Amino acid sequence: MSPRWRKVVRDLSLHWFRTVLVVLSIVIGIFAVGVMLGGREILLREFDADHAASIPANVTYRTDDFGDDLVARAGDEPWVSAAQARRSATFRYRRDGADEKRTITLEAFREFDDISVAKVVPAGKDGWPPANGEVVLESSALQVTGYAVGDVLSVERADGEIVELTVAGFAHDINSMPAQFAGYETGYVSFETMTSLGESDSYNRLSLTLADEGISWAAASRFAIDLRERLFEPEGLRVYHTEVPEPGSHFLGDIFSALSLLLVALGGLSLGLSAFLVINTVSSLMAQQVRQVGIMKSIGGSARQLEWLYVVMVGIYGVLAVAIGLPATAAGTRWFTDFAAEILNFRVASYTTPAWVVVVEVAVGLAVPLLAAAVPIRRGTRMSVVTALNATGVGGKHFGHTVVDRALGMIRGLPRPVALSLRNTFLRKGRLALTLSTLVLASGVVMAVWSVQASIERTISDLETWWNYDAEVDFAVPLDAASVEAAVEDVDGVAASETWPVFGATVVHADGSENESFVIVGLDPDTDFVGPTLVEGRWLTGEGPDGIVINTDARDSEPSFSVGSTVTLRVLGQERSWPIVGVVRGQMGGPAIYCDAGLMAEAAGIPGVTRLLVRGEDSDAESEQALLTDVEERLSEAGLQASATRTRADLAGQLREWLGILVAFLVLMAALIATVGVIGLTGTMSINVMESTREIGVMRATGAQHGAIYRIYVTEGATVGAIAWFFGALASYPLSTTLVRALEGAIGMPLTYAFSWSGVFTWLALMLAISSAASLAPAFRASRVSVRDAIAYE
Amino acid sequence: MAPEHSDMPVVSLRSLVKVYDTGEAPFTALKAVDLDVYSGEFVGIIGKSGSGKTTLINMITGIDHPTSGEVVVGGTPVHALGENALAKWRGRTVGVVFQFFQLLPTLTVLENVLLPMDFCSTYPLRERVPRAMDLLERVELADQAHKLPATLSGGQQQRAAIARAMANDPPIIAADEPTGNLDSKTAEAVFGMFERLVEQRKTIIMVTHDNDLAGRVRRALHVADGEIVEERIHRERHMG
Repeated sequence: MSPRWRKVVRDLSLHWFRTVLVVLSIVIGIFAVGVMLGGREILLREFDADHAASIPANVTYRTDDFGDDLVARAGDEPWVSAAQARRSATFRYRRDGADEKRTITLEAFREFDDISVAKVVPAGKDGWPPANGEVVLESSALQVTGYAVGDVLSVERADGEIVELTVAGFAHDINSMPAQFAGYETGYVSFETMTSLGESDSYNRLSLTLADEGISWAAASRFAIDLRERLFEPEGLRVYHTEVPEPGSHFLGDIFSALSLLLVALGGLSLGLSAFLVINTVSSLMAQQVRQVGIMKSIGGSARQLEWLYVVMVGIYGVLAVAIGLPATAAGTRWFTDFAAEILNFRVASYTTPAWVVVVEVAVGLAVPLLAAAVPIRRGTRMSVVTALNATGVGGKHFGHTVVDRALGMIRGLPRPVALSLRNTFLRKGRLALTLSTLVLASGVVMAVWSVQASIERTISDLETWWNYDAEVDFAVPLDAASVEAAVEDVDGVAASETWPVFGATVVHADGSENESFVIVGLDPDTDFVGPTLVEGRWLTGEGPDGIVINTDARDSEPSFSVGSTVTLRVLGQERSWPIVGVVRGQMGGPAIYCDAGLMAEAAGIPGVTRLLVRGEDSDAESEQALLTDVEERLSEAGLQASATRTRADLAGQLREWLGILVAFLVLMAALIATVGVIGLTGTMSINVMESTREIGVMRATGAQHGAIYRIYVTEGATVGAIAWFFGALASYPLSTTLVRALEGAIGMPLTYAFSWSGVFTWLALMLAISSAASLAPAFRASRVSVRDAIAYE
Repeated sequence: MAPEHSDMPVVSLRSLVKVYDTGEAPFTALKAVDLDVYSGEFVGIIGKSGSGKTTLINMITGIDHPTSGEVVVGGTPVHALGENALAKWRGRTVGVVFQFFQLLPTLTVLENVLLPMDFCSTYPLRERVPRAMDLLERVELADQAHKLPATLSGGQQQRAAIARAMANDPPIIAADEPTGNLDSKTAEAVFGMFERLVEQRKTIIMVTHDNDLAGRVRRALHVADGEIVEERIHRERHMG
């Protein structure tokens, strides 16, 4: 190997600390970009694959009981490719003697190993199919609490009798709402078990897939209506709900688009950040090499030869970084994907990162450093020999000529080490600018993420103002309002109660298609049980013929919904046109329509109420639960069986679970970006201190002790950190508003913007600590060098 | 008495001016300097700090560019060359020795000596190591060939730097304060090496502020305020 290439190898190996810093800077860039972009691609791909493999239903009917002959007839329909029936029923249960009752939806299939639509996949062979007296829980139940095989669930029948079911295993159902979001668990039982729970031995749910895979939603909806009229109505069977989802869509779609947006946005920012980091590190490296460039040119090295030397050197950094970065990124992506898949309840079959993401990772590892190095290499190798031999680093020799330098020189009364630190900070202005660019961007992103998190928290607080009651109880069948209210009026702690009719509502379109995604809630327009936040229009007035108010979830799921428009709704079989008078902010609880209960009765006739709202005297979670337990008991005594119950804390908890996914990912990504920034700062401070080894020698030769040297460099690091924090805080405002607005678009819900001052000051403290620590280690190393060696340092 | 040099100068400076922009008032380091140096001469450039002696030698080596005037070395108009051409020319024509040795710290002594041959491709690959070892023998450093510069004394580093300067067998050696960083005994040894090179018909141009050494060179040029103010010829020593 020729001497010049040996120089490259020696520079890399003898300056191993610098090599580690440079390689680490590039690795962290590859890692951040790779995990975010790769993670996003794998999440979207695997979620789609898992969803598609489950054969999701194009149409699902919830009906009165029916038998196998109807399933067979549905399957014979030319438009239908598969028909699957099941029985579904909701129960209250207690787990292993716990005080608190929870809700579970149990589903029974005839042939568990032959589910053709909306497949359920067992987690293992144990307990599958569930035997009589056993239940297999949907695996998202594990996110709620630590269920285990062998646990006993005491399930309450409609007649109040208790049936004990043993948990036999777990299964995965991507089409079932995850328990942490739904507020209830899902389980699978045999028909034998279902009948032991007081249910009939027939089906009440039919799911169909359609033969035309590219069918539009409108065509699927028209077919569903047509089939409903031909299949169920002649048999005298009532269809309570017809669900026709947008083909290929999933109920977690909004969260996925928000996550995807976050990952792309933060992936892009990471890319920019890592580019800055690499430019900074490589520039520092070249600044250190300038004198050697001068020597080599003085003994015959041409600019081109030297350019190649440094291009290869930077290339080797890149190759090392790619060699470490690719497997590290693959492992990080795998961890990230598993983390996301567990929260979002889907299975990952393949962790293969798409080729284009690997290309981006390699580009970040190889092309970015080479591009970053191009200018400093060219500048360094084209410098005249005399300039190179006298070089002191990036902009170092001109201190004293700028306004900033003079201003710093005019500051009087500072202790000498502090004054020296301040002037040192601005000694290498080029380096300072590069370091600050990296740190300002990292600080800006971290503080922006804090503000996004604060905005989500503020939004949750705002949404909680909707629930001006402590507990709600749902009934499977409409009940007499007076009986319900009478049953709970003398329960201890009940301050007020209200009952609502809540029914399914169908939007009937002019083209014959229908959208059955809605519930319509009848209430007193003057009720103080809810505190609506108006987004548009007005709330119900109760005066004269009034219209309906929709929530933002409803507005987003029905294109024809807008304030001022009139829509046709079918409620309890009766159709009526309603003007939309306002939009209120939804609680992520699904699309809802609110109307005056009196008008609802006029339009559709109300067979009874299906929801009881109770306000207690105390509003903490424990009191709410105690109140609910008492109310449920009293209702049970009165023969009024609840199908589901929730306290306000439960409702808010579900909301937090939904938006908490975004918060969890945001925090994870902010941590990653902060790491990029911190490593960048550590690298820069190390290189700064290394370059100052000679000055350290001079200071020690003139009597400076270790402590004084530490103080100088720690103050310098802290000054850089404080400047980066200040400009980062300014940048975080536009960054956070942009992120919040983009998230609003993705999740289809207005968010309340909140600037996180606590985040800003926490980051200041962290920044000062980190930047001081980043300077301390290299200053310690430098201070250990003997004065003679320090002065002779190259 | 026969001249000790040919009629054609190997270094010819004409009306050489160098002005530095210091950010305040421009500083004229060289004021219309004229100088001829002939092959085989041992020239000492003497002067106080800031007199312009280093600037003058930097002009001859092409390390720095003149503001105006001409620098012709070995028939090559150095002032007209670009940086790349200059590097190649310098590698073959001038061996440069610095006060602070300027060895590359991550290369061994042998590799430092090999480097100019590598850059200028002056010798076939198989000849380079034997030649470098021969040069190190001549400066009595063969036993230190595989050590890094930092492990050598100042005198050893300067001898290694001289061996490196000789790597491509250049006709001219330009040394800027080569003994300035050495004790008197080591300085004497280094000076002795230059004298031996002169005996081998090399042209040595050496900047020094040491009047004793200046008195021992063939031709001493006294530089003050950017001008050559005095020239002394010491014939007897070199005449033997």
